Amino acid sequence: MFQLSPNHQDEIVRTAEVSFTFNGKSLLAHKGESLAAALMRAKLLHLSDSPADGAPRGVFCCMGLCQECVVQVDGKTIESCRLPVSKDLQVISGRR
Amino acid sequence: MNEIYDIACIGGGIMGCASALQMAEGGIKPIVLDQGDLGQGASGVNAGTLSLQIKRVKLMPYALRGHQEWESMGDAVGFRKTGGYTLAFTDHEAELLQERMRLKVDAGAPIEFVSNRVLNQAEPNLADRVVAASYCAEDGYANSSLTGQFYRAKLKQQGVQYREGFKVLGVEACNDGYVIRSTNSSVKAKKLLLSAGAWLKPLAALMDVELPVQARINTVSVTERLPMLMRSVIGHATGLLTMKQKANGTLLIGGGWQGRGTPEQGRGQIDTDSLRSNLALARHVLPALEYARIARSWTGFEAHVPDFYPLAGKLPGYEDVFVLGCVRGGYTIGPYIGKLMGDYILERTTELPLFDPGRNFVEVVA
Repeated sequence: MFQLSPNHQDEIVRTAEVSFTFNGKSLLAHKGESLAAALMRAKLLHLSDSPADGAPRGVFCCMGLCQECVVQVDGKTIESCRLPVSKDLQVISGRR
Repeated sequence: MNEIYDIACIGGGIMGCASALQMAEGGIKPIVLDQGDLGQGASGVNAGTLSLQIKRVKLMPYALRGHQEWESMGDAVGFRKTGGYTLAFTDHEAELLQERMRLKVDAGAPIEFVSNRVLNQAEPNLADRVVAASYCAEDGYANSSLTGQFYRAKLKQQGVQYREGFKVLGVEACNDGYVIRSTNSSVKAKKLLLSAGAWLKPLAALMDVELPVQARINTVSVTERLPMLMRSVIGHATGLLTMKQKANGTLLIGGGWQGRGTPEQGRGQIDTDSLRSNLALARHVLPALEYARIARSWTGFEAHVPDFYPLAGKLPGYEDVFVLGCVRGGYTIGPYIGKLMGDYILERTTELPLFDPGRNFVEVVA
């Protein structure tokens, strides 16, 4: 594969991993990583359901606008793309 | 600046644009000038409610014709005739509602009172503590954010010139009319129509006329997309709430709760206490809103004069300068009264009377 820009992969230092749960399932994420990114890496793409027809919804705009990636934390609805993962965070799917 | 226009409409909201289109249709050559983009003041940020139940009695004939105008604009402005309910939750509110609606019925609005059973069948998600409810099948809404693009397209189609980003800094009389000066350019016109909404006062001051224009700072909010909770436009007997749910699931909440700021300072700001009361009332009426999130709240300026009737006629002291604005329910009535204003300037007989801006204003409670 062509490498058009220098490969800095070795220089990237990730934060320590912390555990969190999504619908009860235990997962790992780097502390401070956005929840959307952590779930995506875990191949969990179905985060909420359309209020109109119930179709599956997930990360789309990644900047807090589209409201498609919303999940629930402590009973509150929040955009997963705007929530940094912290230790023992408990997340469940957005409203169904 | 070689061209001389027959008239310059200063302020490109609904009223300025509708007047210009009518005058172009009548064979004269108008130009529309706006300090920002067309339809981005009150015309473009209001809650879009088209309800005869919240119109002033004396303006009802104008509002009825306004509804026809919106209906004919149709999908291009997001028009929906959903019908609308106004709700009373106490005996006192019910009395108020009866009294107000009776006057509006006398003025020609097709409003009826409905039983709780009928209301509940139509709108099962509303709070069940309703004491009385009135209904108007003519009510509905349009999407105010489409105002600008709608009128821009119309002006283009009719070949009417317009300039956006043209902030008027000065107006000077010349031998064949007026020179309207902005930052880098000027426009020449034989007549003027001042149609600048909440910015009418400083504009008239350029003509050495003091208009007693004040601005209310109305708050509007929109929720995230929600399951379908309601089909009609919903209002409250006190007039302090309007709600409607759009086809995409978002719910628009208005009611004239006051924000902060002045037109001179630019866009207004949200007052959080005011917003909280607005949303609490909405939730009282539609309990399912308890779990809804607000995506955005904003404000718009609604201009008025002390008697809350329109300014529509000649600017006092001038034969060739006209003013149109301060119409209570201006979103609904705007397209129609704009046409009337065009007819008046064309020296045609107007279908309904206008409102002399030179009258003595008697202070009333809105």
